[in-house]
Amino acid sequence: MTVSLELHDIQGNVVKGYGRQHFSFARYILFAIHDERAGRKFIRNILPLITTATPWKTCDNDSGGVPKPEATTNIAFTYHGLKCLGLPESSLHSFPTDFSDGMRARRDILGDHGKSAPENWDPVWNHPDKKVAILVSINGQSTVAIENRYKEIQKILEGVKSGMEQLCGHRGESGAEDLPYQEASAIFNEQGDPTPKEHFGYTDGISNPFFKGTGKNPNLVIGSGKPSRDNPEGWAPIEPGEFLLGYRDESQETPKAPTPPLLAKNGTFMVYRKLHQNVNSFDTYLSNQSTKHPEFNEEEIAAKFAGRWRNGAPITRFPTEEEADNFVKSVKETKKALDNAKDAIELEEAELLYSVLLSQYSAFNYDEDLDGSRCPVGAHIRRCNPRGSLEYGTKAYATPGALTNRRRLLRRGLPYGDSSDRSRDDGNHGIIFMTLGASISRQFEFVQQQWINYGNDFKAANEKDPLLGNHGVDKLGRGNGKMLFQKNKGSDESPYFCSHIPRFVDMHGGEYFFLPSITALHFIGRGTVDGT
Amino acid sequence: MSNIAGKAYAMNVVTPIKWYRAWINRLIFWAGGLPFFSSHLKGLTTLSLIHYARWALVSPRQFPRLDESQPKETIKYTYMFFFSNFNGSWNQYVDSFHMAIPAGLDLFWHKNIKYPNSIPLQPFHSYINHNQIWTNHYYNAYPLATSNDIKAAIAVKKKLKKFIELNNFDSPELFQKEYNKLLNDVQEHLNLMEPTPIVSLSAEAVEKRRTADHHRFRNRAASSS
Repeated sequence: MTVSLELHDIQGNVVKGYGRQHFSFARYILFAIHDERAGRKFIRNILPLITTATPWKTCDNDSGGVPKPEATTNIAFTYHGLKCLGLPESSLHSFPTDFSDGMRARRDILGDHGKSAPENWDPVWNHPDKKVAILVSINGQSTVAIENRYKEIQKILEGVKSGMEQLCGHRGESGAEDLPYQEASAIFNEQGDPTPKEHFGYTDGISNPFFKGTGKNPNLVIGSGKPSRDNPEGWAPIEPGEFLLGYRDESQETPKAPTPPLLAKNGTFMVYRKLHQNVNSFDTYLSNQSTKHPEFNEEEIAAKFAGRWRNGAPITRFPTEEEADNFVKSVKETKKALDNAKDAIELEEAELLYSVLLSQYSAFNYDEDLDGSRCPVGAHIRRCNPRGSLEYGTKAYATPGALTNRRRLLRRGLPYGDSSDRSRDDGNHGIIFMTLGASISRQFEFVQQQWINYGNDFKAANEKDPLLGNHGVDKLGRGNGKMLFQKNKGSDESPYFCSHIPRFVDMHGGEYFFLPSITALHFIGRGTVDGT
Repeated sequence: MSNIAGKAYAMNVVTPIKWYRAWINRLIFWAGGLPFFSSHLKGLTTLSLIHYARWALVSPRQFPRLDESQPKETIKYTYMFFFSNFNGSWNQYVDSFHMAIPAGLDLFWHKNIKYPNSIPLQPFHSYINHNQIWTNHYYNAYPLATSNDIKAAIAVKKKLKKFIELNNFDSPELFQKEYNKLLNDVQEHLNLMEPTPIVSLSAEAVEKRRTADHHRFRNRAASSS
C-alpha cells in the first residue's frame, strides 16, 4: 500500500537528514517565554523561515520541488513551552507523560547519573527561573549561511522585546560556560572536506530507518526497512506512524497522540541530547586492552565494540580489517569513477556499481552470525537495531522484527567541538544527538534503558553497550563495564573478555520536544488551538 | 500494591467467557499440550523474558465459598484466569508480545467477552489493563535474576560439573585447552547479574519508600535491643 505523506506540512528534519545533504553546520538555540503573546508572535514571525519536508529540486530533475536553501530552520517545543504559549489544559493533558515529565525528571530511566546527572549539565538547562520552552535549530551549507539565518532570527526576537529570552549557558571551547547557542558541525579532514566521522573515529549516521512515503530510493529498504518474510528481498518499508503522528503505525492503528488531531497530525516528538565523548579514555582503553590481551588489536576492539569498523563497514559482513578496508577502498574508487565518467554508459555503470556497494553498509542481518562470533551480541549497532536477531533463528514470531519494529530510532544531529587534543577527556567534543519518533518512551527510552544500559533482551543480564553504556566505577576507581566477544560456537577458542570499561560518553544536557506540523504551528501561533 | 518484585512482573488477568464457548477453549488448551501443536507455541518460548504463563478456565461451580456465612452468588460466566511472570513491565513489553505472538494471544482469549484481538494494540492493551487484578503481595527469592539468568545458571552449572568430572588434565596445556572449550561452550551464559533498571518512576518511588521503611524499622529494632 502506498502512503503519501503531507510533506509540505511536515518539518524538514523529520524526513531529511540535513547532514547527509551537504548541510555540514548547525546551530541550536534555546529560548524561554516570559509572555504568552510575545511567544505566539515569535512563532508567527518565524513561520516563513521554517523548512518543510517538500522535496528539493535536483539539478537533473525539474519535475517539481523547491530550491534547496543555503540554511534550514526548524522549531520544537518543550511541554513547559506549550504551557507558556497558552495551549488549553485539555490539550496539555492529552500529551504523553514521558513528554510532560521531561528528560530531567526521567533521568533514572535514562541512567543519567554521576557526571551525567542534570546538576552537571550545561548551565543553560539549569536556570532556576527560566525553563527551556523552544528549540530552534539552524542547519547550513556554510557558516555564512548559518550566521545570516541566525541574524534573521535575532531580528524576530527583537520584535518581541522582553517577552522572550534567548537562553545563554551552552558550554564551549576553552572552558566557556555561557555561550548563547550550541554550535555543531561535521568533522573536517586535512583537505578541508567534511567527513561523516565522530570523535571516536567511527563513521556515523550510516543506517536510518526507511519508512513509507519518504520518496527515497527503494533499494535502500534493504537493511534499513523492517525485516520481513513476505518480501523477496527480506525487508519491507516501516509504517510512517512509527515516526509521524496521524499515520498508520506498525500496530496497524494511528499512534496515540495529543488532541485535537490537527495539533498532532504531521508532527512528532524529538529527543535532544548533548553527548560528551571522553576521547582520551577511549583511546587509552583500546591501547591498554590490546597491549594486555593482544589477541585483538585496537582497530579490532573498536570494531567489536561498535559492530562496524571505524571506516563504517559492518563487521558481520566484513569480518576482517582487510576485507573492510578493501570494501571501503572500492567504494571510494567507484565514487571517483562516477565523478569522472566520460559518457552516459560509463556513468550508468558506475552509478549501478556505486549504489550496490553503498547498500552493503546497511544491507545485512545477523542470521549467519547468531553466535556473535563476527559481530558480538552486545555490540553497539546490534543492540540499538537488532535487525531480527531477537528471534534467535527460530522464525517463531509473526514477523522477524516483532521485538524491534516498534523501537526504531530516526537519528539526526551532528558532532560538536574539536578533539585534536587526545590527551584529555574534558575538552569540548561530542555529539548533538537527536532522535525523532511517535513515542519517546516506547522508542528512545526503551532503547536507552533496556538495550543500552541493560542486556536481558540479548540474554546478557546487566551488560551494557560498551560505547554508550553508563558504566560505573569499582572500588579502585576503574570502570566496571564488561563485554564479551563471542567465538565460533563449538570451536575450542575461549571467548575474549573486555573488563573495566569506563564510561566513554557523558550526557551534558537535553530535553524532550514536540515538533509540530506547519498547520499546528499556525494554530499555536494564533492561539486558536481548541479541543472542544 | 505493585506488580513488581525484583526483575519480575506479575500479571493476573481474569476475563469472562460464556460457559458453552469455554469448551472450545478447553479443547484449544488441550491441543496446545500435544506435541504437534506445541511447535506452534515456539513464539512463546522464544520470548525468553517470560518466566512462565498459565491459562486456566474456572466454571461457575468451581468458585469456592469460603464459609457458610459467605452469601451465595450466581455466577453467570465461566472465567479464564491468566497468570504470568515475566521480566520488564507490561507497559514496556506489550508491544513485543502483541507483535511477536498475535495469533497465539487471539487463540488463548478466543471468544472471551469483549476481547478485541491483539492487533491493533490500543484496544488490546486497554482490555488487558481493564481486566488485570493488581498484585497485593509478591515475593521474589532471586530479585536479581531474570528468566534468562536462571536458564544460564542451570546450563553453566551442568557444564561446569561435567568439566570437573572430566578430571583428566594431565598437563597444564591440556587443562587450558579443555578450559577454553568449556568457556566457549558457555559463552552465551557468562553474565553478571545486578539490580534491575527501574521499571517505572512510580515503581522506583515505591521501592525507595520501602527501603527507607526497612531501614527505619531496623534502626528502631537495634536501638530498642
